[in-house]
Amino acid sequence: MMTKRIRFELWTCVLIAAWAIVFLLLIWPLSSILKASLIDNETGTFSLVHYVEIFTLKAYQRAIGNTFLAGLGGMAGALILGVTLAFITTRFRIFGRALIQTLAVVALVSPPFIGAYAWIVLFGASGVVRKALSSIGLSIPPIYGAAGVILVFSLKFFPHVFLITSGALAAINRSVEEAAESLGVPPWKRLFIVTFPLILPAISVSALLTFVLSIADFGTPRIIGRDFNVLATEAFNLFSSEVGGNPGMASALSVVLIVLSMIVVLAQRWMLRKNVYYSNLIKKPERQRVRGLKATGLHILAYTIVLLGALPALIVVLFSFRRTSGPVFQPGFSLQSYEKVISTVSDPIWNTLNFSFAAVIAIVISGTLIGYLISRRPSVATGSLDALLMIPYVVPGIVMGIAFITRFNDPPLAFTGTGFIIILAVYIRRLPYSARSVAAALKQVGPSLEDAAVSLGYSPGKAFLKVTVPLIAPGILAGALMSFVTAMNELSSSLVLYVGRTITMPVRIYLSVMDGEYGTASALSTILLTMTVIAVYGAFHLSGRKESALL
Amino acid sequence: MAELRIQGLAKSYRDVRVLESIDLTIASGEFFTLLGPSGCGKTTLLRTIAGFQHQDRGEIVVKGERIDLKPAHKRDIGMVFQDYAVFPHLTVAENVAFGLKARSLPKSEIETRVAESLKMVRLDGYQSRLPAEMSGGQQQRIGLARAMAIRPTLLLMDEPLSNLDAKLRIELREDIRDIQRRLGITTIYVTHDQEEALAVSDRICVMDKGRVEQIGTPFEIYRHPVRRFAAGFVGTMNFISGTLKAGQLLIGSRSVHFPGADGTGPVELAIRPENVILSGSSPGAAIPLRGEVRKVTFLGREAHYTLGTEAGEIIAQAMDPSADFIAMEGQTIDIVLPIAKAALFDANGDLVSAGRP
Repeated sequence: MMTKRIRFELWTCVLIAAWAIVFLLLIWPLSSILKASLIDNETGTFSLVHYVEIFTLKAYQRAIGNTFLAGLGGMAGALILGVTLAFITTRFRIFGRALIQTLAVVALVSPPFIGAYAWIVLFGASGVVRKALSSIGLSIPPIYGAAGVILVFSLKFFPHVFLITSGALAAINRSVEEAAESLGVPPWKRLFIVTFPLILPAISVSALLTFVLSIADFGTPRIIGRDFNVLATEAFNLFSSEVGGNPGMASALSVVLIVLSMIVVLAQRWMLRKNVYYSNLIKKPERQRVRGLKATGLHILAYTIVLLGALPALIVVLFSFRRTSGPVFQPGFSLQSYEKVISTVSDPIWNTLNFSFAAVIAIVISGTLIGYLISRRPSVATGSLDALLMIPYVVPGIVMGIAFITRFNDPPLAFTGTGFIIILAVYIRRLPYSARSVAAALKQVGPSLEDAAVSLGYSPGKAFLKVTVPLIAPGILAGALMSFVTAMNELSSSLVLYVGRTITMPVRIYLSVMDGEYGTASALSTILLTMTVIAVYGAFHLSGRKESALL
Repeated sequence: MAELRIQGLAKSYRDVRVLESIDLTIASGEFFTLLGPSGCGKTTLLRTIAGFQHQDRGEIVVKGERIDLKPAHKRDIGMVFQDYAVFPHLTVAENVAFGLKARSLPKSEIETRVAESLKMVRLDGYQSRLPAEMSGGQQQRIGLARAMAIRPTLLLMDEPLSNLDAKLRIELREDIRDIQRRLGITTIYVTHDQEEALAVSDRICVMDKGRVEQIGTPFEIYRHPVRRFAAGFVGTMNFISGTLKAGQLLIGSRSVHFPGADGTGPVELAIRPENVILSGSSPGAAIPLRGEVRKVTFLGREAHYTLGTEAGEIIAQAMDPSADFIAMEGQTIDIVLPIAKAALFDANGDLVSAGRP
């Protein structure tokens, strides 16, 4: 007699709910993009005309080329800066390592478009540094264009590379390097034939991350790129412009952007299919003591990198206290920018806090349950759920925004113009990070702990609440605060979804920069930065593992 | 007191059979060990009894009542885990009280039982410590106290000592045995360490590939294995290939009558190193062989001699070896394999004859 018992329990319900969420907020909206990209705007019939245009029209070819240029440039710059800094700080004794890490974190958490804006303040058409230089007869071109975009991406994304590769570098067993040396390999050569191959997985993961972040970024090319159009900005223009708008084309460009990201993700996985090294960490690497010229050089290099990275944040704070007259900064300091923000534009602050808070609550609850499902109940249903949750990693915010506005426009799901749709977009974009970090945290908690609780008489649900939840709670809270940070700083999807009532701080800052209201932008950015830093500090405090909370 | 009966228990993962129709009866108060290599199904069997996995077929009956239909948390089974599974966020006392709280016992009763259990595992005084401050051996003592505090009908232990170092392993295994004897609790113990199994068990069940190979007392398992697998897995055993022809055993160029073996075909003669007699003759029927001493391993209390003979390589063990053991290497000596201490296994691994009269 075969008796296969079917167990209908809490986790079955969670699985069904998770699939419903993924279908409703991910598959269904994104299918609208695919559908729109395959339909002729005029006739409304199936057609490949948009894709044909992408590969025949010069403007779109240039956008694809620019996207690649920005992605590869940002990735290369971030890799060079990040790996260099990681190597210096893990292998040499550098004075003020905590300061370096803090500055890197400041660079990492400051809103992406603040970087673009700060560099304009310094090196733009009427930039402070440029003006000062021209007054002494030195003329340099303004920073707009490809170079500016790549510069901002490099300086904005290198902390990711730094944090990921420092972890890998610190985890190399010193005996392996000593073995190489005892076998007759000189130190400089050892770096290339032993050390770098060992951290290749970390380098390729951070390369992938910076590439995907770079090509999905909307604010930076928009603010500092000027004529440097990438797929994200083209899609936004085609979608949002009232004259000459072309939703079908915008959708087709979005699809191309997603496909590009996916190709890179798959390529990275393929590259790493064999390069997984297991090593037991018996001897931790030591930091070398250096003296004299070499020490000075290393310090200058390390501090230059992090100071350049944190510069935008510092500039923005500084300029928020400058006296302004319209778009022009005047000599002297004042609080007038803040007065203006408080008196006229305080709505965005409350909207940002409310939306982020609502999104984070939902993210924490569902992310914890889904993360548990993925790591503890492996099956075809949870495995494919995990795979589908990869999608938000490669879908740029602009695309998600467009998908949402297309799908949630008609009853019964008419959310367009509400705060709810902004919350939903942030929710689905950040949910995978939360679910995956919970899944990772659960790997640290052995499953036998729950079995032990069950054998002592607690039902599986109670065992989860009494044992697993308390153990992963700090991780969940730290993750929640980091979700809060990203939710507060979300620009691209909100930009598509906002209406006057539901404007958020990043959107307000973006609009201020576009309108040349630099004073307001600085003050709002400073407020946003302060809220971000408080949340990040909280996350660090809770996770106890510092930078790892960011990844 | 609880007697456990398992009938026709079977389980497969996809098309791999991990348990093939297991039948067992464990007496009340018995210390019963499941012994076998990794992947033999011993842990699956234990976890199925605990309720963490579910069988495809068969029944588990405790005290005359089927428990396999109940969820794990209602089976009233104490479990000790290989990785201790001590709750790191709770103190030692809270860990031990964990299962008692689930049973909503009065506070005073909980306190008494926690103190009692901790005393039993020699951890009194550590009540308010956190597990992270304690050694592996101490953590496993918490795990043991925690499982015993609920006074379970059955105690299951899943390789509880395999993460500890050799000395602690012996110390804790003696403690486990003493506590089990004192409380008379029916215990099922899983291990892959044959020495550990011999040391603690009332009876041992040797398992391989999801099947029960042999069940017996430690003495029976070691001295009178009925399957080739059990003979090879427990202790060291020489297997010497030979041929059986109508009651005559042919080993190399030697031929000897083997009592109780009437069949014909290829067989293996099994004999333990300590039963191989070095130089000299045997009182009863025996197979004499000449062997070259290839290697001598001195272990203090005993020495192992690796001998090359016409029947293949044979390991012999000598207690209290004489001083000139190194000089033996390279020499050719006479050895004797006494029939009374040997056993014959056929090609299927079944016992043909146990040699003894």
